Amino acid sequence: MTAAPEMRDLARRLLTYEADAGKSTEPMEPPTLRVYEKLRQSLGELVGVAGFQSLASRALTLSRPEAPGLSAARVTEDGYLQGLGEIEKQFDKDNDRAGEGGIILIARLLGLLRIFLGETLTLSLLRNAWPGEAFDDSNSAHGRKS
Amino acid sequence: MSTQDKVKINKLPTGVPGLDEIVGGGLPEFSFNIIAGAPGSGKTTLAHQFVFANATPEHPALYFTVLGESAIKMLRYQQQYTFFDPAKLPGSIRFINLSQVVLDKDLGAVLEQITKEVEKANPAVVVVDSFRTMVRKPQSDMELQAFIQRLALFLASWQATTFLIGEYAEDELRDNPIFTVADGLFWLRQAAERNSVVRKLQIVKLRGQDSVPGLHTFRITDAGVQAFSRTFGLTGHAKNPPTHRRLSFGIAELDKMLGGGVREGDSVLVAGSSGTGKSVLATQFIAEGIRRGEPGIVAVFEERPQAYAERATSLGLDLETPQKDGKLTILYLRPLDLSVDETMHSILDAVQKIGAKRLVIDSLAGFEMALSPGFRADFRESLYRMIFALTGIGVTILSTVEVDESFTEFPFSTYSISFLTDDIIRLRYVSIDGQLRKIMVVIKMRGGNHAKDIREYEITSKGVVILGKRLTNYQALISGIPIHSDGADATEEPSLDTGSEHKS
Repeated sequence: MTAAPEMRDLARRLLTYEADAGKSTEPMEPPTLRVYEKLRQSLGELVGVAGFQSLASRALTLSRPEAPGLSAARVTEDGYLQGLGEIEKQFDKDNDRAGEGGIILIARLLGLLRIFLGETLTLSLLRNAWPGEAFDDSNSAHGRKS
Repeated sequence: MSTQDKVKINKLPTGVPGLDEIVGGGLPEFSFNIIAGAPGSGKTTLAHQFVFANATPEHPALYFTVLGESAIKMLRYQQQYTFFDPAKLPGSIRFINLSQVVLDKDLGAVLEQITKEVEKANPAVVVVDSFRTMVRKPQSDMELQAFIQRLALFLASWQATTFLIGEYAEDELRDNPIFTVADGLFWLRQAAERNSVVRKLQIVKLRGQDSVPGLHTFRITDAGVQAFSRTFGLTGHAKNPPTHRRLSFGIAELDKMLGGGVREGDSVLVAGSSGTGKSVLATQFIAEGIRRGEPGIVAVFEERPQAYAERATSLGLDLETPQKDGKLTILYLRPLDLSVDETMHSILDAVQKIGAKRLVIDSLAGFEMALSPGFRADFRESLYRMIFALTGIGVTILSTVEVDESFTEFPFSTYSISFLTDDIIRLRYVSIDGQLRKIMVVIKMRGGNHAKDIREYEITSKGVVILGKRLTNYQALISGIPIHSDGADATEEPSLDTGSEHKS
């Protein structure tokens, strides 16, 4: 089963946003890592380090069949994402586009949030983490097993 | 010190229907409170209701979660309640997980983290869920006492109203420093009795507030916790001044027997065995009230409102129209697992909604059966509270009760509740001249004189109709097997009451 299309779209938006924002920073971090870190901080406050670590590990496991390049990545005990080499390679710096692996990983993480917290709370979290972005909840789809 | 000189303690809404009344009008602002109870007793839900009722962007709430229920699952389940407003997160309500600092560090670090967050957010409400897991690490009593003292002092100084939530057993109430420090202690209990679960809430202490003592029933529905005060929310209501008004049954002869009718605000008991017409009499009482502009409530337990109204129609009494006009409410209180307090809450709501003056409870036996087994043991005591509360606001109550017919005794009720009632009307079968006939007698009227006559009656298409004059020439009528005095006619001037009083 693949990541839900609307979650992919949302993940792509976040990654693009961070890719744009990252242009002004040196050295430039991969947008996947930037999005992941914002989610880690925002979610970590809400559900704790262990709570976030569990969700991120699950998201990574769900992503691997779709993105074999993520096989080298791992989530540490304190919730950090390591081994992003493959994802970084997929990141097309010339086109400012994030790689498919990063999109899938973030989409899976967002999908889990939607399943557990519901769409409203998930979007509320995203608005808090990305105050400059407009998120709408028109693409309502209720939680289902990933 | 005059009243003006005293510090004014603001009261915050608890967000829990019925609880404001129990705590004496609301929760004292800046108080330091504990919600204690066993797992599943509703502690977190109660705290969430308080948080959602009070948190605003200007006066936010901080909700610290610690080890125990996973925060993500807690949010998943709690948002099923209707009070949960996701729009309040995170602007008005911020959830902060403290698990890691609790696991990795000591109480000093926990206090430091809480202090940092509170200073940053300046919250009006702070919740720590579960506080018990936070202090479970081995530490000396003095360390724990010092931590609690500093936490309570800090949060009060920062003008936060605080709830600490913990799984505590009742035998832990003694010798625990946290209970000494707390301003308020809310204890939630649930116990299985036979096949029912009974939930009760107790305000063990609440400083500076006149809370209602005792155990109060509560229920958890999709709207969250709902509490039912033992005083039925009527502590603030002044007792209605006594009136001398008499309420008619719509049966002229019965009104005469009652000295002009039932005194307003009385509790009347109509007792009799099956088929003697208790419900018919009750229906006539309520219908006559409506005819005279006195709205009424009928609480039925043994049949549905539609069936009740249809039976009234067969007696020529229209209960459909007054229901449509908002003059009558027939409450069907769903059977099983009810508490008297919940039943009362429904009745009171209905009384206040339509301004009811008359209430029929048909029947006490059905009422008792609708209660959870655990509440049946308290039935008499609960009934006393209910009748006292309702008559106190001027409602006249007529209750029916079935009694076993005996030819050796003349019981008024199987519940020994006659002391609760002002007036008792007894209906019974009697064997006369080879017929099973019915007699009626007014046993008691607390408010004055009443007829001593034993009257024969029939149930006709016009309802209860009292026949002729009092039965004479019989001895031992109330035994049900009278002895004919002279073998002559059984009654004086037998005649049929036309029932013209109730042309409703």
